[in-house]
Amino acid sequence: MVLSLRSLLRHPLQFAIMTLGIALGVAVMVGIDIANASAARAFDLSASAVTGRATHAIVGSAQGVDESIYVRLRTDPQWRSRLESAPLVIAYAVSPQLGEVPFTLLGIDPFAEAPFSSYLGAQEQTRLEGVASLLTVPGSVLLSAPTAARYGLQPCAQRPIALDDSCRLTLSINGETKYAYLTGLLEPSDDFARRSLDSIILTDIATAQSLTGTGGKLTQIDLVLPEEFDSTALSAALPAGTLLVTSETRNSQVSEMTAAFRINLTALSLLALVVGVFLIYNAMTFSVVQRRALFGTLRSIGYTREQVFGMVLGEAALIGALGAGLGLGLGVLLGQGAVQMVTQTINDLFFVLNVRGIQIPLSSLLKGGLVGFFASLFAAAPPAWEAASVPPRQALSRAGLESKAGSAVSLVAGLGIFAALIGAVILAIPTRNLVISFSGTFAVMIGLALLTPLVTVTLMRLLGEPLGKGFGLLGRLAPRNVIRSQSRTAVAVAALMIAVSVTIGVQVMIASFRTTVTIWLEQTMRGDLYVAAQGLSATRLDTPLDPQVIDLAQGHPQTQSSIGIRVVTVESEHGPVELLAASTERPMDTRLFLSVQDSPQQTWQMLKDGAILLSEPLANRLGISVPGGSLALLTPRGWQSFPIAGIYADYASTRGTIRMSLDVYRDLWNDDRLNGLALFLAPDADVDAVTADLRAQLTDFPNIHVNPNDALREGAMVVFDRTFAITTAMQLVTTLVAFIGVLSSLLALQLEKAREMGILRALGLNLAEMRRLTLWETGLLGASAGLSALPTGYILAWILIFVINQRSFGWTLQMQADPAPFVQAFLLAVSAALLSGLYPAWRLSRMQAAEALRGE
Amino acid sequence: MSAFLRFHDLTKSYYEGDVRRVVLQNAHAEFQPGEMTAILGKSGSGKSTLLNLISGIDVPDGGQIWVDGQDLTALSERDRTLFRRAHIGFIFQFFNLIPTLTVGENVSLPLELNRIPRPQAYKKAQDLLEDIGLLDRWETFPEKLSGGEQQRVALARALVHDPLLILADEPTGNLDEETGAQVMSLLARLAREQNRTLLLVTHSLEAASPAARVLRLSHGQLLEER
Repeated sequence: MVLSLRSLLRHPLQFAIMTLGIALGVAVMVGIDIANASAARAFDLSASAVTGRATHAIVGSAQGVDESIYVRLRTDPQWRSRLESAPLVIAYAVSPQLGEVPFTLLGIDPFAEAPFSSYLGAQEQTRLEGVASLLTVPGSVLLSAPTAARYGLQPCAQRPIALDDSCRLTLSINGETKYAYLTGLLEPSDDFARRSLDSIILTDIATAQSLTGTGGKLTQIDLVLPEEFDSTALSAALPAGTLLVTSETRNSQVSEMTAAFRINLTALSLLALVVGVFLIYNAMTFSVVQRRALFGTLRSIGYTREQVFGMVLGEAALIGALGAGLGLGLGVLLGQGAVQMVTQTINDLFFVLNVRGIQIPLSSLLKGGLVGFFASLFAAAPPAWEAASVPPRQALSRAGLESKAGSAVSLVAGLGIFAALIGAVILAIPTRNLVISFSGTFAVMIGLALLTPLVTVTLMRLLGEPLGKGFGLLGRLAPRNVIRSQSRTAVAVAALMIAVSVTIGVQVMIASFRTTVTIWLEQTMRGDLYVAAQGLSATRLDTPLDPQVIDLAQGHPQTQSSIGIRVVTVESEHGPVELLAASTERPMDTRLFLSVQDSPQQTWQMLKDGAILLSEPLANRLGISVPGGSLALLTPRGWQSFPIAGIYADYASTRGTIRMSLDVYRDLWNDDRLNGLALFLAPDADVDAVTADLRAQLTDFPNIHVNPNDALREGAMVVFDRTFAITTAMQLVTTLVAFIGVLSSLLALQLEKAREMGILRALGLNLAEMRRLTLWETGLLGASAGLSALPTGYILAWILIFVINQRSFGWTLQMQADPAPFVQAFLLAVSAALLSGLYPAWRLSRMQAAEALRGE
Repeated sequence: MSAFLRFHDLTKSYYEGDVRRVVLQNAHAEFQPGEMTAILGKSGSGKSTLLNLISGIDVPDGGQIWVDGQDLTALSERDRTLFRRAHIGFIFQFFNLIPTLTVGENVSLPLELNRIPRPQAYKKAQDLLEDIGLLDRWETFPEKLSGGEQQRVALARALVHDPLLILADEPTGNLDEETGAQVMSLLARLAREQNRTLLLVTHSLEAASPAARVLRLSHGQLLEER
């Protein structure tokens, strides 16, 4: 152990770099895990705050559940004594006094709610005061005491309650500004209750209905059904347009929405760790190679193979433990940043989620720590075996070692081809299981990484002659030195290659996605102007328009025609699904049809007649590849079956959307509201002038946005780019880990080559030439990694676009392989290598030739 | 005749941990052009350090060194390197050939460093290798050569650019007796034929025997032995 410690401390920089490499890998993994866990926990908390102990819920069509059903459940002797029920009105509200983040407005019946949740505090006094204020003061709301304290809010003065500006809350609900009074605070009885109530505004049913404009309607009725209860009888007794669902199914359906997104993030975080493992392997191999003579001596004085093996593994364990420990700390910090990005994406793409405070699950820390530690041991096992195999009193000559490495190049390449083929076979398995798909992707990537040494050697042999002719001695020396240092640099080059190819793959995937979405937006958004209310999500039209706004927009003298859009969530036979109903005066762009039952024209006619279109992700999710068949949706008139006329391209939602004629929707759902309006102006109309005019006319409606086509498209692309912010951030970390790998290799190589450099100095090579030689070598290593990364990146992009993305989100993307990401990636590889060569080059310039020569 | 190489008051010390170890203490000596001198000394006596100072690889703590009238201690690091590149040939105990270069490339290396066009450099290297009987190994890499062959290549490399001064650090230290004698004889012949000043340091009296003059390095001082 003393020997190990001393040898690690003798090369503190190498030791630090190895530790940092594993720390970064662990940090990324833990950070993403924490972000995912925090988002999942926030979802669970908000779900449990809403559903509490409820086992089932009665839900309705888009307009909710008529409250008369609740009255019936409470009064009808058939049900009253057999089940517990509680009405709920749920909406989202934002308030400038609450940091403009979405809160769940929860309307409850305080008397009925007691068996379900513990919102009203454990203490009798608090409970009574809270209940009293909710029931006696219209517009009264409650917040948890910690939440109120966080935002510096005070409840209204008590006994008697004084409703004044000091306790008035301004709320924006469904695009309208409403006012409520904070009449009391809830004291959570435990930590779970505190977290559950963190982003809840609690009120009674009447106030909630008044604030949301849904008089007489409930969002759902929560039920606690005994185990022996016959739920089919209750289902049968419910009126048309309502449905009995289990709480568990409902929550899991929502949670499933983000599963693909979370698995994708986890896979990316694992990639950083894989690169970290490469780095450890590389560094440990190097440290073993450096000490071959020492191991030979140890063996000759009686150390067994097992002792030598254990000694090297012990060093790896120390590095693994330190790196993992450091990585856990960094991961927690990283998680705090990542949670914001993950939450933003979930809000943009899936549903409204407000994550407060990060959740640091012990399991994430344990998992990250153990994976980091064992990855270090795993990576160090082959070099430890190599150390144990050194024959006593013999130190293999450098030349012998390199010739061994040279002959391994072909073997490793053969293994690489085998691994890549296995990966391809795994990817060909027709499954939507992302773990299998990512395993295949990893196998392909590792396989291609194993081909890198062969590419390096071939490239250097090809370059040797021209570089020698063009750049003389240095040009001739550099490629040969690169070949000769394969045993030291091959793994670092492979790691850099992986990181750079991920850059290419992700960039090409994002560019392809971007191009596809841009084209899709052009085909979809054909109106000149769009009118919509400010919603809680950047990508969904979730707020209805005021009828006055619709009249103003449609009545504008320059408006020639318009398309009204209504977006609602409805119950389908497969769970809740988004329904987009749009007026059919103007047919959809035929290029949007991916698959139609008949001609696009006839499909459009079928839509007008009551058929529906499925978006591609929805069709994929439901396993429908060709139109035909039908889908049942819950309408206020009960379940209705709709023929499926076609499948269309849609990139707005990963869960998928049903498209229906607005007339059909209005007829079946009795809902005349609209969420958005696309205006088509007269041909000679000035779009900017009409926009300004409409905005001026709509000043009384501050939440209404009027945007010209191009501005809205730009806005959509901003959301698009934001969605990929975390992907880009993680890709950068992976590159950083690879960069550290190359730096560590070069530093170690420089240590080993000190004597050779000393000879060159003695022969008259000046410092500038020495630095140039080092940079030539590192540049060539980078070029080799960069060149190998080009086809690998292309293959990865192809897999991401046509396999991972398809299976994760169900979208078909047009592959867009511009030269730019490839050129950038190549330059990145060369620059990263050159940059990591700067320090060794600087060290060389400080190296005293005399010392290097004396070192022999 | 003025001395070709001379130094006086040469002092050099190293720190081993916190302990200062003096290797040279006010050492002085003069060497004439074409003279072959051996410096004898025990292991660790400072022989290699002296050569490193004379070649400008290392700098003294005190004192001055003149080679062909040039004060090396007055030169910058870069100028010392350029001076060494042009005027000094080095032979090491462990041969120190560049493993990634062939025999031919190793020998022509100093010429290439001095910007001699490659055809001329190769021609000169080939002549020299022919002289020492290793021309047939032109394309061979050093690892394929025996120790004696490697040292002969190193000799050729040290002489190929016609240096004013040849410094040899234990040139036979890593060779068997017979091969060592052959190498020394070759070195002495080449230096004599080309009228080069040769300074070799060794611990072996036998290796020093071809030298016309022998000095002994002891306690940081150079003393005339023969």
